[in-house]
Amino acid sequence: MRPETFSGLLDTHGADPARWPPAEAEAARRLLADSAEARALHRRAQALAALLDESLPGPDAQALARMRARLAQAVATAPPPAPAGASIWDSPGASPWAWLRPLWPAGCGALVTLAACLLWLNLAPGPAAQPWLGAPPLLAMVELPE
Amino acid sequence: MPNALLSIAGWEAPITERSSPDAAPKAGAVPPLARDRAAAADAVLLGWAAAGDRLAFDQLATRHLPALYRIGLRITGSAAEAEEVAQEALLRAWRNAARFDPARGQVGTWLYSIASHAAIDRARRAAPLPLDAAPETADPAPDPEAALAARERQALLGAALRELPPRQRAALALSHDQGLSGAEAAAALSISTRALEGLLRRARFLLASRLRGILE
Repeated sequence: MRPETFSGLLDTHGADPARWPPAEAEAARRLLADSAEARALHRRAQALAALLDESLPGPDAQALARMRARLAQAVATAPPPAPAGASIWDSPGASPWAWLRPLWPAGCGALVTLAACLLWLNLAPGPAAQPWLGAPPLLAMVELPE
Repeated sequence: MPNALLSIAGWEAPITERSSPDAAPKAGAVPPLARDRAAAADAVLLGWAAAGDRLAFDQLATRHLPALYRIGLRITGSAAEAEEVAQEALLRAWRNAARFDPARGQVGTWLYSIASHAAIDRARRAAPLPLDAAPETADPAPDPEAALAARERQALLGAALRELPPRQRAALALSHDQGLSGAEAAAALSISTRALEGLLRRARFLLASRLRGILE
């Protein structure tokens, strides 16, 4: 393994040898033992890992209590979990169509109205035949040029 | 695709393969009053929660809140946002408790996945944090000079972290902070292992180049 490859390994998998892929770990360890450049790279990766570890404080007791209280309140007022086979309508948080749910009654009403209109149009008698508006009387009414 | 859907869909068993909601951890096997929630495993607690046991869910939440908060903090860079992320993730988990498929991974990893997606969404929506909004860290050094140096190092790290895209911060949060394996972290972010490695490589490379002066 070359130092450039080792540098890429450290960037990808970090400084902890336990997290290096087994296929590369042996060669990386050998390079670490033989190369001062690799040892310098490893020290830098370890320093970065330590800095990252220091930078992430856990929540203090007050924050934890606050989060637990808010969550308990939200869970207490939330409906029970949706059953595993529920349709997307039963899990508003997971559905991209959840915002349409309040419109469901209005949509049903519109569909019923539309169906009633179509039914009425089909069943209603058509316009009565108007013999005086037929083609022969109309033609007869047209004044032909002399 | 909304992240709520992404995070949940990736862990949900197809309906045809799924057993009944309470079959995985046998939620109904122990009556609620006889349940030892403190000693129960995460999957058992989630199974009980899926059957409506709010106390079991509270126990599960208590176990995972600190880790979910840290994930939110790493990705959003804000303590207030981190609290929101942790609560939002757990509330989504409550709603979808019955959809968790234990064959696809551990409960903790599933929760981290939901929290990561929620935090990435928030980080993308939020305006860039001002420089003084970095999370407060405890001073590990007792003497003032060392404490000042530590604060300066953390400020530099905070500035470098804010340059990273949210997905790279999420990769660091899961892989470095939570110690997930590459496959677990990739599954949690709904990406391939190769893509995760790319995110980690670019993140660490940028951090190392920005912090060259203090890492030597």
